[in-house]
Amino acid sequence: MKNQSVKKKGVLIDIWKARELFLLILPGIIWYIVFAYIPIYGLSLAFKQYKANLGIFRSPWVGLENYKYVFRDPAFMESVFRTIVINFGRIIFQFPFPIILALMLNEVRVNRYKKILQTIYTFPHFLSWIVIASIMVNVLDSRGMVNAIITMLGGEKFNFLGNTRFFKPLLYITENWKSSGWTMIIYLAAISGIDIEQYESAKIDGASRLQTIWHITVPSIKSTMIVLLVLQVGNIMTQGFDQIFNISNPATAKAGEILDIYIYRITFQGTADFSFSTAVSLFRSVINFIFLITADRVTKALGSDGLFA
Amino acid sequence: MEKAKTVYKKRNFTNRIEILDIILLIFLTIWALLIIMPFINVIGISFATEYEYYNSPLILIPKNFTFFNYESLIMDGRIWIGYRTTIIYLLVGVPINMFLTVTMAYGLSRPNLPFRKYFVYFIVFTMMFNGGIIPLYLLMKQLKFINTMWAVLLGAGLNSFYLIVMRNYFMQLPVSLIESAKLNGASELRILISIVLPISMPIIATIILFYSVDRWNEWYYSMIFVRKKGVLPLQLALRSIVMESQQSEQFSASVTGPRKFSEGMKMGAVIVTMLPIMCVFPFLQKYFVKGILIGAIKG
Repeated sequence: MKNQSVKKKGVLIDIWKARELFLLILPGIIWYIVFAYIPIYGLSLAFKQYKANLGIFRSPWVGLENYKYVFRDPAFMESVFRTIVINFGRIIFQFPFPIILALMLNEVRVNRYKKILQTIYTFPHFLSWIVIASIMVNVLDSRGMVNAIITMLGGEKFNFLGNTRFFKPLLYITENWKSSGWTMIIYLAAISGIDIEQYESAKIDGASRLQTIWHITVPSIKSTMIVLLVLQVGNIMTQGFDQIFNISNPATAKAGEILDIYIYRITFQGTADFSFSTAVSLFRSVINFIFLITADRVTKALGSDGLFA
Repeated sequence: MEKAKTVYKKRNFTNRIEILDIILLIFLTIWALLIIMPFINVIGISFATEYEYYNSPLILIPKNFTFFNYESLIMDGRIWIGYRTTIIYLLVGVPINMFLTVTMAYGLSRPNLPFRKYFVYFIVFTMMFNGGIIPLYLLMKQLKFINTMWAVLLGAGLNSFYLIVMRNYFMQLPVSLIESAKLNGASELRILISIVLPISMPIIATIILFYSVDRWNEWYYSMIFVRKKGVLPLQLALRSIVMESQQSEQFSASVTGPRKFSEGMKMGAVIVTMLPIMCVFPFLQKYFVKGILIGAIKG
């Protein structure tokens, strides 16, 4: 009995002593409550029928009614399927690329050139997809630079942009173009942490360059690879909106309608049924959460620290 | 003994240039060219005449250099509005971002904060689960922020990832520094402003840069929350120029007013939008890299 009241008093004293800190974090906490947690509560709209005059809080409950309509919309299920297929493809076609770049760049001996290459590779990441898409739409156009080069070399013009069969490769290539340099830096940092002695002893043992890379460099960045891979898988439901929204056109619109684009279309293009849209949103957030938690557990099982604090 | 061996080995290493080096350099250079060439092409088109473009779209340096497209841009006016709006976003938004981030990061970095662990979970949870755009939109409507810049700037008020990076940095500051200040009776705010901030300038500069790039590239919230004319951010101004150009080509016969070279104007708009980042990036690259490293070590 006495121990408990002493403990409670101790906590209250600590709170009082740290009152300035609480004051300091108050603005941020308020921000999170208002702009992160209240919208999370707003997801309850998925189970209500939205009436504009009543707002979120007083609109009537309708249980799972909205979901009956959601699952009956073929565009919905298609968008979910498309999201998974497209983003799974990123794991195969986008994920290895920064690793290969990092391994290659690491072998460059001339430091000046290495820095120049790094700057060039990293730069496009800081541009918005509106800018990148504008560049791509021009350069890959039938009258653009790439097709000009192709015809100069004797080939036939290729429809890069309005071609539903090329859409996925277009996504992977442009995403690598934009951001592989940035991810490469993370790998380069991991590589720079490798013990020089390991390389020395490999040389003594007579290993070739390629063998050194495969047996020393690669295993040392394995933990970084796992974390980034798991992050990529964990976010499989949410990647790509910015890119696809800006780079697709009426010809490829259907091929690119991932879940987030579907949500955007039914909410902001045409008559919006907020309850319906929120129901889809809730579904998306929950599935995304499940993926992330599973990915986190998997990292922990593989021995890493897990993704989150 | 050890040192001499290492130096000897290093010299041996650098003298040999293998076939592998040449192949690597070729691939790396090709990739670098693949990145640079579209930019040069875009710059070239923006300074070219329509005639030259339609005859040879592969323009790197135009034979007939002209400012015509940029003049069209200036006359069009949307870019000015875009610049004005985005600069306001920068000047108002980044201080808001930094205020929220620094106070949170510092407070959460102090081990003497009760329930610190729970606050961190509180934040991390929002990185894994969010309400999406619709509840946020309805909230902004309720708060009467729609069509104001507050919806955009407060909506993007905090980036949890940057917050964690800054917190990590603060947590690694020498405890003795802060302890001695406390013994001298300094308040937490005093400590933050007079001691912690001055020695944290590298991370502060880095996070300011990150937030600045985010505010510069801002378009989504603006598109959803602000439908008023005349307050388009730069990215949306660019978007409207690029998308409209595609239409005006089809209807060029019915275009009233001076004829413009739409492709050239488009590319001029791209350059103008990219310009600040393009100029500043090579010099500030190391800050961006440092920032991601501090964050990546955590992850």
